[in-house]
Amino acid sequence: MNPEDLKYHKEHIWAKISGKKATIGITNYAQESLGDIVYVDLPETDIEVSANTELLEIESTKSNSSVISPVSGMVTDINEALTDAPEIINEDPYGKGWIAVIEMDNPAELEDLMDFDEYEAYIEEEESK
Amino acid sequence: MRLAVIGAGPGGYVAALKAARLGAEVALIEKDEVGGTCLNHGCIPTKTMIASAGALSKARRLGEFGINLSGEISPDFTGIIERKDKVVSIHTRGIRALLKNHGVRFVEGQGVITTEKSIMVSKQDGTTESVEADRIITATGSRPAPLPVLPFDGETVISSADALRLRALPASMIIVGAGAIGCEFACMFSEFGVEVTIVELRDRAVAAEDHEISEILERELKKKKIRLITGVSVEKAETGSGAHVLLGNGTELDAEKILVSVGRSFNTEHLGLEGIGIEKGPGGEIRVDSRLETNVKGIYAVGDVVGGMMLAHVASREGVVAASNACGVDLVMDYSAIPSAIFTSPQIGSVGMREFEARAKGLNVRTGRFQFRGLAMAHAMGEITGIIKIVADGDTGRVLGMHVIGPNASELVQQGTHAISSGLMARDVAAMVHAHPTLSEVVMEAMADVDGESIHTFK
Repeated sequence: MNPEDLKYHKEHIWAKISGKKATIGITNYAQESLGDIVYVDLPETDIEVSANTELLEIESTKSNSSVISPVSGMVTDINEALTDAPEIINEDPYGKGWIAVIEMDNPAELEDLMDFDEYEAYIEEEESK
Repeated sequence: MRLAVIGAGPGGYVAALKAARLGAEVALIEKDEVGGTCLNHGCIPTKTMIASAGALSKARRLGEFGINLSGEISPDFTGIIERKDKVVSIHTRGIRALLKNHGVRFVEGQGVITTEKSIMVSKQDGTTESVEADRIITATGSRPAPLPVLPFDGETVISSADALRLRALPASMIIVGAGAIGCEFACMFSEFGVEVTIVELRDRAVAAEDHEISEILERELKKKKIRLITGVSVEKAETGSGAHVLLGNGTELDAEKILVSVGRSFNTEHLGLEGIGIEKGPGGEIRVDSRLETNVKGIYAVGDVVGGMMLAHVASREGVVAASNACGVDLVMDYSAIPSAIFTSPQIGSVGMREFEARAKGLNVRTGRFQFRGLAMAHAMGEITGIIKIVADGDTGRVLGMHVIGPNASELVQQGTHAISSGLMARDVAAMVHAHPTLSEVVMEAMADVDGESIHTFK
């Protein structure tokens, strides 16, 4: 997946939009900050999730972190491969390290997300704080 | 002074030894082996087998530590059971030697209190002996409570005691009850390769513990691929060579064995309690005062049979208190700082109030936390999962509770016991120097965090 084609949430989540479906994952910046990921507590499928609320938790050698859902909708798919190999996120955050697919209720929420350039600028600003 | 003690578990044998040390002439009556549930069917055999599970887990992770091992790693269940029996036997012999050394007369048989001063003991060979005493301590313990829809048959539907005598590992097991015992067995059998499903009536695992501890354990169970179904009852079961279970929510489960661990029943029958008018409490436990004396003067009761916190170390302390009172040394039982340990993987240790308990009492509460993954020693050991949580009085900072899930939690909890029992403030413990690098640094950091002063926490 090309990072330039993705949408970004300020909690360092990316979303790839394809029709009503949003495939989500954590950004390269997020995986670098977390360090080695040791467990991904995947959500169940067919559950409803609201934008800006916790979708799942990721455990790394440094911390336990919440992954926020960037959009509202139903979880239709999860990346089961992460159960036994969570390190895939470190290795390929924008590809094989995708986390879940959400069928969006309200595509208008996408307007609250950043594009690639905006996210790059946002990270720089965060770093300099 | 002549003292008779009925029951040689951690309550009774300790009471017997204490009384002997205080100069009493002591008879200890027991129908089974010395050591009670703890040594023969509980704490010690389970911890020995859990040590085997821990060794297996470590062996499977050797690569992480840079160690090469070729060949297959698998549990030899017969060897595990033999090791367990050996450890138990070292300690039953040890207790017998201690009793002999203290001059305690060991009477093997079933004791029935016939009068306030005498006990009739029926021995295995069919003979009886009357033991006369000035004071009596009953320490007859408890046994696994059955579930009405799932009565024990010792083969398919088993108790925790039966689980320690299995001859072979089953392929699958349903564990009813996600309390301390159920979760310990779940972690152990799962490590040995058994497919485990836990069914719990309450809404979470280890429901007596602080909610944050339950949450972490539940995730660890998930990581081990142990299925946990909460908030459901067992409605119906068909058992034969295996078991088919129907749950309240309509789920059907099949397994080779069902382990029922839903609580304990008091051993108060056939003891002669009614004959001399000893009062029982609402749950059927023997009612005692703070000196562990029953309503009948000169008759005391200790251990599981008095209810409350049914733990071996509580029983032992009660044994010391009752024996002292029986021998004229006045002592009161203090339950304010009782630690408990659960040997799940990772372990749980807790002492004092949980946050929900403190809040239910209307106390102003402050908490402190620290993650094991924030410690260098946890990384060195390769055991980074877990947290410690301190519950402190919001106004004074006095330590009210300490709850740990993580490596060596069963040992770390003792620091909380010291703090609570000495009435320390969290900042007092934080100011004590803790050796580095050790896991006990989590206690120092979490105690400091109560006042927002944990050095190794992001601001």
